[in-house]
Amino acid sequence: MDANNITILCVDDEEIPRTLRKLILQKQGYRVVAAASGAEALGVLDGVDINLVLSDQMMPGMTGTELTKFVKAMRPTMPVILISGVNEIPADAGYADRFISKVGGPELLFKTVAEVLAEYGISTT
Amino acid sequence: MNDGDQANILMVDDQPGKLMSYEVILKELNENLIQARSAREALDQLLHKDIAVVLMDVSMPEIDGFELADMMRQHPRFQKTAIIFISAVHLTDLDRIRGYKSGAVDYISVPVIPELLRAKVSVFAELHRKNRQLERLNRELEERVQERTEQLHESELQFRTLANSIPQLAWMADAQGSIFWYNQRWYDFIGTSSGEMPMWGWRNVQHPDYADRVIERLESARRAEEAWEDTFPLLSKEGEFRWFLARAVPIRDSQENLVRWFGTGTDISGQIAAEEQIRNLNGQLQERVAELEAIMQVLPVGVAVSQDPESTVVTANMALSDLLGVSPGENIATRIDPASTDAFAMYNEGRRLESADHPLLKCARTGQQSATFELEIKRPNGELIYLQSSASPLLNQDGNARGAVGAFINVTDRKRLEDLLRERADLLELATEAIIVRDMNGVLLFWNSGAEALYGWPREEILGKSIHQVLHTRFPKGFTEVENALAQTGKWNGNLTQFTRDGQEVTVACRKALKAGGNAILEINRDITAQLKAEDALRKTERLAAMGRVAGIIAHEINNPLEAITSAFYLLRDHPSLDEEARYFAKLGEEELLRVAHITRQTLGFYRESKHPVEVSLSALLDEILELQTRRMEFDNITLNKLYRSRGTIWGFPVELKQVFLNLIGNAVQAMPDGGTLRLHVFECSRHGHRRPEVCISICDTGTGIDPEQGKHLFEPFFTTKSTKGTGLGLWISKGIVQKYGGTIRFRSTSVTGRNITCFQVRLPDTNVQGAEVHEVAPPDAVEVAGGSNGRQ
Repeated sequence: MDANNITILCVDDEEIPRTLRKLILQKQGYRVVAAASGAEALGVLDGVDINLVLSDQMMPGMTGTELTKFVKAMRPTMPVILISGVNEIPADAGYADRFISKVGGPELLFKTVAEVLAEYGISTT
Repeated sequence: MNDGDQANILMVDDQPGKLMSYEVILKELNENLIQARSAREALDQLLHKDIAVVLMDVSMPEIDGFELADMMRQHPRFQKTAIIFISAVHLTDLDRIRGYKSGAVDYISVPVIPELLRAKVSVFAELHRKNRQLERLNRELEERVQERTEQLHESELQFRTLANSIPQLAWMADAQGSIFWYNQRWYDFIGTSSGEMPMWGWRNVQHPDYADRVIERLESARRAEEAWEDTFPLLSKEGEFRWFLARAVPIRDSQENLVRWFGTGTDISGQIAAEEQIRNLNGQLQERVAELEAIMQVLPVGVAVSQDPESTVVTANMALSDLLGVSPGENIATRIDPASTDAFAMYNEGRRLESADHPLLKCARTGQQSATFELEIKRPNGELIYLQSSASPLLNQDGNARGAVGAFINVTDRKRLEDLLRERADLLELATEAIIVRDMNGVLLFWNSGAEALYGWPREEILGKSIHQVLHTRFPKGFTEVENALAQTGKWNGNLTQFTRDGQEVTVACRKALKAGGNAILEINRDITAQLKAEDALRKTERLAAMGRVAGIIAHEINNPLEAITSAFYLLRDHPSLDEEARYFAKLGEEELLRVAHITRQTLGFYRESKHPVEVSLSALLDEILELQTRRMEFDNITLNKLYRSRGTIWGFPVELKQVFLNLIGNAVQAMPDGGTLRLHVFECSRHGHRRPEVCISICDTGTGIDPEQGKHLFEPFFTTKSTKGTGLGLWISKGIVQKYGGTIRFRSTSVTGRNITCFQVRLPDTNVQGAEVHEVAPPDAVEVAGGSNGRQ
């Protein structure tokens, strides 16, 4: 599958990081749908064909891991990557496929997304 | 008449016929007849034999009879030898014969009438024999007189010697009482010579009080010729009167006539003085005995006296009567008998005492001194008292026992006190605290087993030594302050730092108290080293936790905008609207941003590439890291010493583990800018007390080393020895990761002959089971630093 046909749901409560993350992913060739909260993300998932969920961990209302639980409960085959700016791995981080740091930079992000997609049998090349 | 008494008769005639006829005539006299044919021959016979009678013819040739007689008379031996002349009757001859006035001379005229000749010769022969007998008797008599005289002289000498050698004064007086002799002793004592001592002139040596009496009695004894005896003082030449016992006895001859007096004087002053002394001693002895009896009665010690070897009578003094509960003066012999149920019962170590074993009775019987013996006495009221007893024999003059004396001391109170003290001592030994008593100079007097355990010094090595010498105590505020507090309030509490026998530093909570009397200090020290360490560790953990919380907050606030900026720069990097210069600025900004990202990743960020741990070969992981360092190591001239004894396979997250070893190897390489050796060892080991094997990775360098002060802070966050080049977080993070795996990290830095060796050792449990949980919480040994560091040069 071409990266251009892969849609990533990008979830973050902060607007600027969310927009910038969306932009770099788009630059990488992915189609990106943004959501500002967990609840909004779950709504998007109902209506849009999403290939991968990339969510911030620390969000008001619903945290990244809580969102992951919902996603995995509904769609067990939906890849979920959590991205966090804090140095603490939450206890239920294991629900997500990956838990990465925000300071890894765009390269780590791209690499992780590609790896996870590959694990789910979605080729990006 | 026997041969021995035969007289020699010499017959002289020049005519042998005459000689023959004489012989015939005289033969029947049975004397010894000797013939001589001439005067010369006659003289020769005279000289050789004792001749009684010479019968000679007057007319002879050469020398006639008269001439021979003259010659004989001139010789002293022959002057009195009898001569009978035979001659014809001539007047001249007869006149000449008569001329021999003295001596025995006779004559016979011719013709010789045999009877006459025989008679005359016989008379002379007999006379000669008588003469010889008389001479012999006389000689014998003279010899006897001589002998007797010598004996007398000797006996007199012996008497004088004896009289002079006896210790008594001795004297002799004649029958009238006039003293003619004193012995030497007299002169030695009185000091005058015999000439100065008149008859009975003793008055001047008599004591005036006794002189009249002595002289009167002596005079009456002399008159009665009876023995005399008196006792009186005599004046010595030193002017001292001494007492004498004087005696005199009359000496009588065989006819019972008084011939002399013999007297003696015996010095009895010493005897009198000795008698006086004995009288005095006797008096004193009686006083002492009375005193002793009084002492015995008032003595607080019980005393028993066994009066005979069989101890049929045993008396007790007041104190013992009280102790035993008997009436004073009573014979307690029967009471000691174990058969008796009277009054009291005696035991030794809980056993009823046999009378054979009773120390006093045994001592009286055997005469042997008893050892100290403990008796338990059950009194009539059932009360048990303890007596310490000992017994000594009383010996008679032959050295045999005639009884014994026993002493009994009531030690009941002392025994109770001892029991109490033993109980207290046991309590002291039970205490885990070190309990110490020392004098004011610090000399140790008591050291309980708690002190032995705490300090490692056994008491026998330490008692008598100074506490300061042994424990090297460091006082928090100075010793004088402690001393002042003790002096003023008698107490001091506080923590002290001391050292154990093997040099370990210990902190003790100390309570000191001045002993009543102020001559010693009591100390109770409780080891609080472990407690302080635990508190310290807790504080550190809390600080780290707080720091972690702060880091979390900061992380959120920094990492979020950091990500946004990074993303922005990423978008900006190749933006078509940027000219060359703007792109250069963007590149600079992005590079600097990487540095920020790096530090936050180290500190505040983290990531997990996978949610599940995977099998990681640590040796392979180390090789990957080394590959990255190869160029740097070649450049810095660093030799690699690699020894993998194990693949070091564990379950974990490779990136995390890589971070740990990249950090350690990176540090090691950076510590050797001038070259050295990097040693990497991987092996399996098992930690003492843990069943699970561990993988052990050691990374050693020969670089600059780490001094002990730095060593203490090595694993703390923001600590760096590389000034601006390091983040100061590498080892802190590494330790965190290792602890998450349940492992340990420790280091040792030593300096041997100017060469530093710094070794980091990481031990990771071999969680070689798929899906094994990884610890999320660090174990409590938050800071684990091995000692032995000698630091940097």
